Amino acid sequence: MLAYVLLWMVLWAMVGGVMTPRIYARKDLDVANTGLAGALMGAALGPFGLALLWWRSPKLTGRWLATPGVLAVLLFAAAFARTYPGNLCVSNGSFVVTQVVNGLILGLIYGLMALGLTLIFSILGVVSFSHGEFYMIGGMLVYYMSVVWLPGLNPLVALVGAALITFLIGVVFERLFLRVMNTGQVERPGEYAILVTFGLAFFLQYLTLALVGATPKKAPRFLDYPRLDWPSPENPWLLRMRAGTVEFLDTVSIATPRVTAALIAMVMLLILMWFLYRTWIGKALRAVSEDRQAAAVTGINPDTMNTLAFGMGTMLAGLSGASLVQVFSWVPWVGTLASARAFVIIVLGGMGSLPGAFVGGLIVGLVEALGAGCIPDPQRAAAYIPAYGMVILTLVLLLKPTGLFGREL
Amino acid sequence: MKRRLVLWGGAALGILLLVVAPFTFLHQAYLVHIGIVALFYAILASSWSLLAGYAGQFSFGHMAFMAIGAYTTGLIGKFVRLASAPTGTCTEFPLGGWYLVLQNATGPNCLERGMAQMPPGSLIVQPPILVGILAGTLLGGIFGWLIGVLVLRLRRTYLALFTIGFSEILRVAINAEIDITDGPNGLELDPLFPNGLTLFGRYFEPTDKLPPYFVMLGLFVVSMWLMSWLASSRFGLFIRAIREDQEAAAALGVHVVRYKVLVFVVTSMIAAAAGAVQAHYIGVITPNILLILQMSLVISMAVIGGLESLVGAAIGAILLEFALEFLRRSFTIGTLTVDMTTWRLVFFGILLMLTLRFQRNGLIHPLLERITRAEALRETVAKRQAPAEV
Amino acid sequence: MAEIALDVNQISKNFGGLQALRDVTFQVRGPELIGLIGPNGAGKTTLTNILDGVIKPSSGTVYLNGRRIDPLPPYAIARAGLGRTFQVTRAFRRMTVMENLLVPAMAKHPTARRSDLERRAMEVLEFLTIDHLRYEYARALSGGQQKLLELGRLLMLDPDIIILDEPFAGVHPRLMEVIYRYITQVNAQGKAFIIISHDMETIFTLSRRLLVLNFGELIADGDPEVVRRDPAVIQAYLGSDSDEPWQPERRAPTA
Repeated sequence: MLAYVLLWMVLWAMVGGVMTPRIYARKDLDVANTGLAGALMGAALGPFGLALLWWRSPKLTGRWLATPGVLAVLLFAAAFARTYPGNLCVSNGSFVVTQVVNGLILGLIYGLMALGLTLIFSILGVVSFSHGEFYMIGGMLVYYMSVVWLPGLNPLVALVGAALITFLIGVVFERLFLRVMNTGQVERPGEYAILVTFGLAFFLQYLTLALVGATPKKAPRFLDYPRLDWPSPENPWLLRMRAGTVEFLDTVSIATPRVTAALIAMVMLLILMWFLYRTWIGKALRAVSEDRQAAAVTGINPDTMNTLAFGMGTMLAGLSGASLVQVFSWVPWVGTLASARAFVIIVLGGMGSLPGAFVGGLIVGLVEALGAGCIPDPQRAAAYIPAYGMVILTLVLLLKPTGLFGREL
Repeated sequence: MKRRLVLWGGAALGILLLVVAPFTFLHQAYLVHIGIVALFYAILASSWSLLAGYAGQFSFGHMAFMAIGAYTTGLIGKFVRLASAPTGTCTEFPLGGWYLVLQNATGPNCLERGMAQMPPGSLIVQPPILVGILAGTLLGGIFGWLIGVLVLRLRRTYLALFTIGFSEILRVAINAEIDITDGPNGLELDPLFPNGLTLFGRYFEPTDKLPPYFVMLGLFVVSMWLMSWLASSRFGLFIRAIREDQEAAAALGVHVVRYKVLVFVVTSMIAAAAGAVQAHYIGVITPNILLILQMSLVISMAVIGGLESLVGAAIGAILLEFALEFLRRSFTIGTLTVDMTTWRLVFFGILLMLTLRFQRNGLIHPLLERITRAEALRETVAKRQAPAEV
Repeated sequence: MAEIALDVNQISKNFGGLQALRDVTFQVRGPELIGLIGPNGAGKTTLTNILDGVIKPSSGTVYLNGRRIDPLPPYAIARAGLGRTFQVTRAFRRMTVMENLLVPAMAKHPTARRSDLERRAMEVLEFLTIDHLRYEYARALSGGQQKLLELGRLLMLDPDIIILDEPFAGVHPRLMEVIYRYITQVNAQGKAFIIISHDMETIFTLSRRLLVLNFGELIADGDPEVVRRDPAVIQAYLGSDSDEPWQPERRAPTA
């Protein structure tokens, strides 16, 4: 049954996605978002929705996108529940909630990393293909500092150290290789940026491999949570905290390293917001991203801002890795998948949009958690995790290349 | 035309060298093996340079097309049989007196069950390797067309992201669909010549390196010839014009959409063909050929050789592959042992970045251009120095 | 050769709610030399892009030599006989001058021998006085030379109607002469020109007919002498915040 519903939805979504822009163009209306609206409408309501859309051809406000979007998701969920009544995602509510919370927690950290990438893009106009490598290095540094070099060092101190080092690597790379893009010393700067950051990724990944080897590493959890039962030890229905897990409401059980990582990400987000919106340098950064030349006239040195933005971007990636090294095991190529995920998020959120990166991160985290938890064949579900994001990327690029919060291209 | 003479002479000399090489002191199996791999990378690097350097389409999905070629022929070898009588149990299509049989991936083997009911003396044979390779090439072209159409509107960075996405989805799917592709364990393929080969009175074992070498060399020569011809014809002129300025090219009568899609089709087919041949030579393919790092290797070879030169990219790939192989040896300085299997790639990464930064047109291409453009430049200079008449 | 005929009928274009062009109608008959002027934002570039096929009109039709061209894609319009330059020079920078010229030639004549096209390209380059640069990459050329290169490409496309977008902007006086000569000579060979320019002096000396756009409407069409005195035209220029002063005096080009 699910297969037929899916086929039906995809078919009408394709019809809607292809035909709606043409119909709007013929009626001489604004074609922005028409492909997306048509696809969503087709997926949600099939030919009836499309007929309504084409006949009325309304101005496509957010409501015309959100309503069919939600309907399509509901339709899919209903078909899924009918087909697999025994699936954990259908029969076990607490499992679903746990997956959702886990997804949101990871999404928060993914968002933090993507925020770095989008910051780089909005100031330098460059998508760094080496972003995942900084994520990987951040994690490696925390592991080495707190476990190998200085055993007993507080991991949170190591976290700060990793942030500083990834910041410095980013700054040095920007000065050596990206600065020349603005001075006219390299031709075709767009191509150059893609290739040189790609080269950096290659270099960093193999350098790490040569230095630390291929054995997986895992840092112990940063914090052991105190034993806590609330409201009372006899009946801790609200909160049951142990060193390794936290359980809310008797249903949602989360590993504490993830909670720690989420807390770090939240603190970092707050600091970042404060920095960007309250300090002079942050305002200067945003000014440069709005209008480079105008900013230069007001006495901001755009070159310095470039270096700073790249360093901050790599630092955010490093921090994300640093906070997740206690959650996942760490090998020199973890960055590849992280890079890909960050691309998905910034394309989904809209290139250069800070709130977009945040929201996009949460969405990707959710989709991955639910996909991994709900797809019937568990082995296959796990194997497909990297693909969920890529499917989102493909759909966004085809239907709405500007993303959720993007500026027009 | 002195210039043409230089070009043809150079090409002939290069091919002659490659043909004779395995018969000289370089005849050891190990070296011939590196030669095959080098030619494989040369085909990939030069076709990528046609796509990215000439047409400006920075696709990171080139290895995906290579993998499509490899897996197509591998899956045909695994699942497709030709039978002289209907099996009655498998999915099958009549084909001029024979039957094209598709085996099922899961459940009891339909072919074995079918064989019991087939009339005695019925034949069941594998389709020839060549058919698999051709089918792989064709499917590569079809996917190239599809991707080419999908990315028409995407600009540089988005195109790079989209093609990475395509490549990753393919890799993950191959990893996950273990029933069909054998997943990360790898799909096994027959050698290029499953029954050996007798040529000029000499018998070659199926594992012998010389026949695959010449197959790969043949593919290399054919694809280089095809691409050079395309690059020097209006096709090459148009895709470069599109790379430079799509709108201006259209305003001058160039059918932008057709040529953009066409360049995807051509380069994907070449990559797929190389992948199919290489897969049969190696004998096993894993989804790891789709790792981004494999793609970076091809990109590095093309960039270091010269992104805007087919020959430069090919020479770059051959030289770098040999360099990489010979740098495998680890060495010791004092107490420090340097494991070169990894470090050579670190140096490779540095070389790539430095080339990009300081020698943008690659290391080989400028040398070639000095030879081919010498005449033209002399003329320009002479004209400029002549007293200007107005 | 059949008589050149461009028929622009009631072209309108809306961008969302903004009306960029309203019912623009004019004809070109034979090798005319037409100037197209108007204050900034009057719709000159939009009109060019519609004629060229880059954007489609909301309503109205365009016929070239009896064939309807407005639904065609740009490359087909170019082959049908309408060529244009862009306001900003758009040479193919990483191709040689010769290759730049061969692109339109090969697009228009798919079956012609390359050597014939190259010979033709040499003639064009000599005419434009940049033949010594034929193997030079276009990026090595000066801005003015690149402008000449664009004109050369148009000649290789061999269109019936040539639209030049600001051909004189930022050009060295000596090159201006070459461009001026190009326009008059090519025009004398039977090609029609539509020239968009802010350079009033040159437009007045050069063109024999003037089209004036204002707020998307064609407010005047006729002999430059007459158009110059048209109150609507004067109003359009004086009433807008345009950068360039209205200079009705007629002067010879710097020769």
